[in-house]
Amino acid sequence: MTFQSLLSEEFILLDGGMGTMLGLSSGEVPEALCLSEPERVAAVHRAYIEAGSQIVFACTFGANRLKLEGTPLDAVSCVKAAIQLAKSVSDGRALVGLDVGPTGQLLQPAGTLTFEAAYEAYREVMIAAEEAGADLIAIETMSDLLETKAAVLAAKENTKLPVLCTMTFMENGRTFTGCPISAAALTLEGLGVDAIGINCSLGPKEVLPLMEMLSRWTTLPLIAKPNAGLPDPVTGDYHVSPEDFAEVLSEYAALGVQIMGGCCGTTPEYIRALKNALTDRKRSRIPRELPRAVCSGTRTVLLDMPRVIGERINPTGKKRMKEALLSGDMDYLRGEAIAQTESGADILDVNVGTPGIVESEVLPKAVQAIIEVTDLPLQLDSSDPAALEAALRIYPGKPIINSVCGKEASMSAILPLVRHYGAAIVGLTLDEDGIPQTADARFEIGKRILERAISLGIPKDHVYLDCLTLTASTGSDAADTTITALRRVREELGLETVLGVSNISFGLPNRPLINRSFLAMALTSGLTLPILNPMASDMMDTVRAYRMLAGYDENCAEYIAAYQDAVQMAEPVKKSSQTLAYAVAHGLRQEAAEYTRAALQDSVNPLSIVNEMLIPALDQVGEGYEKGKLFLPQLLQAATAAQSAFSVLKENMTVAETGGEKGKIILATVQGDVHDIGKNIVKLLLENYGFTVIDLGRDVPPQTIVDAAVSHQVSLVGLSALMTTTVGAMEETIALLRAQYPSCKTVVGGAVLTADYAEKIGADCYAKDAKSTVDFARIVYGEA
Amino acid sequence: MMQTQDFNRASLLRGLGVAPSDAMLSRTMGEMITTLCKVACPRTIWRIYPINRDRGLCLGDVPLLGRDIALHLTGCTEAAVLAVTLSSSVDTIIRRFQATDMTKALFLDAIAAEACEHLCHDVEKQVRARTAKVYMTARFSAGYGDFPLSTQAGLLRLLDAQRKIGLTVTQNQLLLPMKSVTAIIGLSNTPVQDARKYVCGVNCIGCPRYDTCRSRISR
Repeated sequence: MTFQSLLSEEFILLDGGMGTMLGLSSGEVPEALCLSEPERVAAVHRAYIEAGSQIVFACTFGANRLKLEGTPLDAVSCVKAAIQLAKSVSDGRALVGLDVGPTGQLLQPAGTLTFEAAYEAYREVMIAAEEAGADLIAIETMSDLLETKAAVLAAKENTKLPVLCTMTFMENGRTFTGCPISAAALTLEGLGVDAIGINCSLGPKEVLPLMEMLSRWTTLPLIAKPNAGLPDPVTGDYHVSPEDFAEVLSEYAALGVQIMGGCCGTTPEYIRALKNALTDRKRSRIPRELPRAVCSGTRTVLLDMPRVIGERINPTGKKRMKEALLSGDMDYLRGEAIAQTESGADILDVNVGTPGIVESEVLPKAVQAIIEVTDLPLQLDSSDPAALEAALRIYPGKPIINSVCGKEASMSAILPLVRHYGAAIVGLTLDEDGIPQTADARFEIGKRILERAISLGIPKDHVYLDCLTLTASTGSDAADTTITALRRVREELGLETVLGVSNISFGLPNRPLINRSFLAMALTSGLTLPILNPMASDMMDTVRAYRMLAGYDENCAEYIAAYQDAVQMAEPVKKSSQTLAYAVAHGLRQEAAEYTRAALQDSVNPLSIVNEMLIPALDQVGEGYEKGKLFLPQLLQAATAAQSAFSVLKENMTVAETGGEKGKIILATVQGDVHDIGKNIVKLLLENYGFTVIDLGRDVPPQTIVDAAVSHQVSLVGLSALMTTTVGAMEETIALLRAQYPSCKTVVGGAVLTADYAEKIGADCYAKDAKSTVDFARIVYGEA
Repeated sequence: MMQTQDFNRASLLRGLGVAPSDAMLSRTMGEMITTLCKVACPRTIWRIYPINRDRGLCLGDVPLLGRDIALHLTGCTEAAVLAVTLSSSVDTIIRRFQATDMTKALFLDAIAAEACEHLCHDVEKQVRARTAKVYMTARFSAGYGDFPLSTQAGLLRLLDAQRKIGLTVTQNQLLLPMKSVTAIIGLSNTPVQDARKYVCGVNCIGCPRYDTCRSRISR
């Protein structure tokens, strides 16, 4: 008997609760019992098999090194014992699954656990389970899509066992980490699991509508393993009877659910009742057609109408983006991601390719920074397979890869990645001979890419084609060639079509006019995924108008929502604020930017804008803050306004023109700590005063901080820690800095620190607030 | 669901040192309250356990170490353990605003703290409605006084909080999602203590250990 052979049956019965049956006394770790009291676990397996379970899960839910840390137990030994025990009990009567639960920790970026650490924790027990004779791997009760992906990849890359995967959803159809059912299904099916479903969560009644939703998002065999109702808040007990449980669960057959069992609160009685209830049932076999979509870990974007791919995160021709990538300034990327999200982009392209960086290191970092601040799905844009794979591994969701082309080398390097990670792929219609001049030839290359993808097992609708925009000035039929090829791809192949739009106008006057006209032509001809700058409002206007006119926007709701306030917005913002200094002191961001622009147009020297307007205004606010007249919100407001003035200056000036670098400072929240709002406030203020901040982020290991200090030759390192438990890491970092880079000064801050303590751990300065960090920095760099 | 009317804009502003008459910041605070209510996905869990004093103070198998928690639970025979979280969507939105508007991030941070307080308060009401005991102590959390922060992990395990409400703890005892609280409430039929008043090194006047304590401070 194998899982594959079981799939030919109408229904497959799993087991029910393990913890419920073990009758654990307080402090008992279930995973330990397989070693210490195997008979107790064996009795549970036996009872389930006798009740009709065709698959039993070994007692290994928490058997991973992360969960077992602090206990004397070794995960691999626990797993081996548990699998062997279940195998000996089942004796061929039931399959034995390795039960795999969450690590109990949140992965980066929400938490501190790395993808690799989670992967490794799963990998070792999965290999052990296969060696011990497990028949399958059952990943369950998952909430974090990235953690689930780590587990699935660990299973698929290291064993040959079938993988069943179930996640836990709340009544709103999302997991605790915000993952919607659709995103879970898209991602897990893409990763190649063998069956997918919902476990734990709620009772059978409450899970039913969730299962209905899941059934619309996957073609895989479905698994339902709900609890015995909702728990009593005082006792934690469950109250749905075996008969009621079985009756409701048997209705899942109408949704096509094939694999059923129970979770918390269920016992062999429930499985027996379920077996009876299913006796005369047949499961629905209505063929399911899946919606086309891509997703992040928290949002699914349906490709049911033209969707905008934001192009701003790309260093090509963008000096500021290049600088940000070279200096590791991920905040700049975050800012671009947020701005595009707010402008109405549906998907964001991420391209970090620029000379001087290692793309395979920077692309995953950039992806991680961006998914912290936007829930839009990403398009990973690179021609470097190593960079793509590094980003694909840590991306929670189903991304688009941009791109493959018709060249043999490209297809053989990129398409296997697309298949392995379940991504969508953009195919560029060019090959070894370059970009064809005719629409037919581009169509043929597109078709070839599609056929190759299908032959590798990539679903047809994961392939999107880009028929390439050439500059209109190169020939009168440039636009027409693109449009004709695009229309054929859409009509004859039925694929999504991608197009970078703005190339069309290169070298011509009034580019926005050409861009939006070409966009309208392309949309009408079947362009579904335009790549454009979402901050160019005329482009977004065209997309919104097209969606409305083409009937995608029911009741014109989105169009109206976007434009009903347009008249109001056009009113001038200028009010009583007369000067840049006033705007900064009062936290008026837009005005601060406008006055700066106006000053530049009046040929005011940028240096005097900084020294005579911005810094005095900031000092005035700072003074008010020190005297207790103003408080942190006003200080931050002013700093943010000043920041918007500085960014206008940066767009137009070199660093030298704005007064040169005052000095570089490294900031980090120490290892183990993820509370970083304080550090970010300090960063904002330091930048206002002209310092270059190298922000290493949060949860930063001591050696990383020291290495960065040495390589950037900084004179000052600022460290932040919020918890008593992480102040130790601060002390360690300072000691390491003293040993390896003694000339560097340190400034420390954070809720639990005091001046005494700062001195004790060897810091040069204790900063009671952000302003005092600035004061110390000015002393260190000889300004005050 | 959190409701905007649950939050007092003026007192939140005052808490951050801003006069409620500041129209611009007051408007921003209002916006952020609405934002928080929209993105928060509050979840709570609580359970009552007997207090075991056979081998040191324990709830279930979780030892409660330190003098402060012992003082706080004097006379209590049971305790409610509670955990609340606003969900990681709140952490995300605060992080997002840190990249665009630090004032808004700071406001959200304060509103979120207040929202956790509301959730704890709701749980307290539920406990009061379900317990037969007459007296309830104030909430006492790991990290108060000398009550070790490392108790956090044990309390979450007792409640099965990761599975039930998605609340986790890092190796350094940080709760994640960040906007979360765990606490213990003692239940008793005799009047109860409030050790928070005398948390070591903060306020010693009136502390029952005043005469003998070695870490007593004089102010």
